[in-house]
Amino acid sequence: MKTIKQLLAGLILMAFGLGTAQAAYTLNLMKGVTEISNDIYDLHMLILWICVFIGVVVFGTMFYSIYHHRKSKGHKAEQFHENTTVEIIWTIIPTLILIGMAIPATKAMLELDDVQNADMSIKVTGWQWKWEYEYLDNGIHFFSNLDEASNKARQVGSDIDPRTVPNYLLNVDNPLVIPTKKKIRFVFTAADVIHSWWVPELGWKKDTIPGFINEAWTSVDKPGVYRGQCTELCGKDHGFMPIVVVAMEQADYDAWVKKTQEEAAKGPDLSEQSHDELVSKGAAVYAKNCASCHMAGGEGVPGTFPAITGSAVVKGDIKDQTNLVLNGKGMMPAFGKMLNAAELAQVITYTRNALGNSVGDEIQPKAIQELLPAGSAPAAKEKPQEKVDASKKMSLDDLVARGESVYAQNCASCHMADGAGLPGTFPALKGSPMVTGDINAQVDLMMNGKGMMPAFGKTLNAVDFAAVATYIRNKLGNSVGDSIQPSAIQSLQSAMPAEDDDE
Amino acid sequence: MSAVVAEHEHDDHHDHGPQKGLLRWVITTNHKDIGTLYLMFALAMFFVGGAMAMVIRAELFEPGMQFVNPQFFNSMTTMHALVMVFGAVMPAFVGLANWMIPMMIGAPDMALPRMNNMSFWMLVAGVLLLASTLFMEGGAPAAGWTLYPPLVLQTGTALPFAIFSVHLLGISSIMGAINIIATIFNMRAPAMTLMKMPLFVWTWLITAFLLIAIMPVFAGAVTMLLTDRFFDTSFFDAAGGGDPVLYQHIFWFFGHPEVYVMILPTFGVASTIIPVFARKPLFGYSSMVYATASIAFLSFIVWAHHMFTVGMPVAGELYFMYATMLIAIPTGVKVFNWTATMWKGSMTFETPMLFSIAFVVLFTMGGFTGLMMSIAPSDFQYHDTYFIVAHFHYTLVPASVFILMAAGYYWLPKWTGYMYNERIGRLHFWISVVSVNVLFFPQHFLGLAGMPRRIPDYAVQFADWNMISSIGGFIFGISQLLFLWIVIDTIKGGTGIKATDEVWEDAHKHGLEWTLPSPPPYHTFTTPPATVPTEHI
Repeated sequence: MKTIKQLLAGLILMAFGLGTAQAAYTLNLMKGVTEISNDIYDLHMLILWICVFIGVVVFGTMFYSIYHHRKSKGHKAEQFHENTTVEIIWTIIPTLILIGMAIPATKAMLELDDVQNADMSIKVTGWQWKWEYEYLDNGIHFFSNLDEASNKARQVGSDIDPRTVPNYLLNVDNPLVIPTKKKIRFVFTAADVIHSWWVPELGWKKDTIPGFINEAWTSVDKPGVYRGQCTELCGKDHGFMPIVVVAMEQADYDAWVKKTQEEAAKGPDLSEQSHDELVSKGAAVYAKNCASCHMAGGEGVPGTFPAITGSAVVKGDIKDQTNLVLNGKGMMPAFGKMLNAAELAQVITYTRNALGNSVGDEIQPKAIQELLPAGSAPAAKEKPQEKVDASKKMSLDDLVARGESVYAQNCASCHMADGAGLPGTFPALKGSPMVTGDINAQVDLMMNGKGMMPAFGKTLNAVDFAAVATYIRNKLGNSVGDSIQPSAIQSLQSAMPAEDDDE
Repeated sequence: MSAVVAEHEHDDHHDHGPQKGLLRWVITTNHKDIGTLYLMFALAMFFVGGAMAMVIRAELFEPGMQFVNPQFFNSMTTMHALVMVFGAVMPAFVGLANWMIPMMIGAPDMALPRMNNMSFWMLVAGVLLLASTLFMEGGAPAAGWTLYPPLVLQTGTALPFAIFSVHLLGISSIMGAINIIATIFNMRAPAMTLMKMPLFVWTWLITAFLLIAIMPVFAGAVTMLLTDRFFDTSFFDAAGGGDPVLYQHIFWFFGHPEVYVMILPTFGVASTIIPVFARKPLFGYSSMVYATASIAFLSFIVWAHHMFTVGMPVAGELYFMYATMLIAIPTGVKVFNWTATMWKGSMTFETPMLFSIAFVVLFTMGGFTGLMMSIAPSDFQYHDTYFIVAHFHYTLVPASVFILMAAGYYWLPKWTGYMYNERIGRLHFWISVVSVNVLFFPQHFLGLAGMPRRIPDYAVQFADWNMISSIGGFIFGISQLLFLWIVIDTIKGGTGIKATDEVWEDAHKHGLEWTLPSPPPYHTFTTPPATVPTEHI
């Protein structure tokens, strides 16, 4: 079948004079690199063959009739027009065929749905127009954008031949790295509009929906680079937010984790930069992060995206502009979460002194770093660097106050901001027996995790941990009234087994 | 005495022809005039929507961005769909209904002629309002014809205009549907019992009920978008306790029956044309009626198969998969019945028959891919790729549009009194049927190979098939000008061949319209016919 199709395809192509003997195209669904994707492939082939068979029978009959039962051949029309037996037969046979299809389909569906017993979890957030990946087990966190070469070539009138760009539109700056032969659970959500995360070789796609969590899982058999794209229309640059998954052996993966964490620990370069340096480096940051909406020349899109050139915000107080860039507003995302302090300082200074603006002032990375909420800048979040004094005794009110932001950053994405959880997936904290019961049992669960709940003992420092544990017991509709001190958490944490990726 | 005079004047009024001048077309309440208006408007919109498709195929001709920016590209895909669905295909079938239903059931006109006029002009207003958004700040809607939030809420000035346009189109459709139901239930000739009605009338009766059920749902959904954007509600905003997926459920509760609104009358026309050219009665008339009703019923309980990847509970996925697979059964019955109608007939292959046979074959191909996509796990791969673009274009272009062409060729001689140019008609058919497959068949390959839909630019491994698809698209687009030429030529009587009353051999056995002169007088069946043909039963 495949050969026949390819032969036909080749003939059609030749007819158009394209001569594509070496062209890298495929006609059929790809076989994937996971068990489930191969099951889906088999299912696809089964249904395809059934359709081909029915098609041959029905169209064969029709064309026989068209050839033989024509007036020009002198065929006289018979006048039959009803036959209940035939009608019943051609209702029952398709029903049986459908039942035959439904059985393997149901099996595959149940398999796809089973996200239990995962070895690790990755949270994927869709943004206009990039992907954010958070490794829930080791705190690695980064954004993944379309690579620079593709981005340059895809501009209208770029005059760059896409064929000269390797993996045009299917390449990113930071690929998602996963270990092979491990069951990886993905949790999906979105920051702005609905996106959909699809890597054909994994066998499925899943929508990422703002305010909601979706789940899926994969277990990749062989190391390799697998490429996909966003598949839910998400605005202007929907076609330009690819996905690249690099699957590597466990040992290589561990090395990658170590390296990434070390790099992140260094944090951004906060040293003072000259005005010209800020502006010149800011141009690249602008091209990558801002130009898709505000346009390369800063002219914006009237009615949708405001112009940078001559903008009142840009020409006004630099503090107001910095605040807007860091925290977002309406469709403008909060770049404080995506860029490091140095990049933010560069791009803010750039917009004020280029693109037709000449305000003349600047902002230094250090000033930005002070504005970023602790723990929310990527560098700071990947590895808690804040010096905390766990020995200091804290009041209940202090713990609750600190716990609120810790909760918002670490817990709310699953248990929801109001603690209501997601019925059937994430338990509610409001009135939960675990929360209103013995505090030590709750701390133990948070410390070591269970099922989908990650082990926060490894990712939170003792003060934050104590704060959020106390917060949960006294807010979100609960009022147990007790608290736990950072010193108690610290002694529990020091008793935890050290892991090799935990430096 | 005065009563006699009044009656005399009344009779006299019937003898009047149409009003003179352009005003005739503005104020007409005559079903034939309004049918013509609908059909002409639909044809014009077919070319407008087609021009947008040409922009899309031109941009996709080669990898890289050559002609338009991505935002405008998204506007084109969105507007192409909206214009084709609400401006071309639906109005074309309403036009056919207006022209043919009264003549098929032996009625003098539609039951509610003034509302008929109003529903047409509301359609024009709605489509013009929609088209005006192309020139607004921020551009036309670009979130896809499904108008999913939150994305659609990012639309510029155009959003309220697009929503109001949907309201107008909805009101127009509902009025049209009420009119059709009222006409069929009240205006039939006494001999025309329900189970003697031509299938075109039956399918439209069922379609009209679908329209009345779904258009208010769509109007409600877009009104919720309006209040979310302008009145601080949070129906579809999770931050305010709403749910973006709720919109998709509401939309597809409308959207799935909506696609059947475009296909059920198609079944009716095919069931009308095939028996005439096979010179045989339709096989399994009553099972065709029941199959149509089953499909209409099933269309209301399968909507979430458009949403397999939004993250439904597995029980929901399985239910919608099973329910969707069921649609294959009544649809299969229809295809088998058409084949059995041709079997042992005495077929001739004039243009209407050619288009009808192509419809049966190519619609069935669209049905096969539909069956493949009903399998939820496989749909995790197919969803939102070019595979589905190929699927629904097969069910809409070589199905609905081809049948509209077939209907045009079939009834043009009746409407105008002249035969169309058969040679050019067949040329139009052959170019169309080849190019439409060159256009859409490669899109199956693209989708399976991993090309998502609604993207303005693509990875280079998709280049060859896109180029072929675009070439097919350009040929298909240009060849439709042949149809325009034939329509104008036939109206002008270009062939000089006067059409007989029955036009097609023994057609009078198949439908009441063929017992009338060609062209029919301005008012027909002022007294109902005593007997009705039963050959189609």
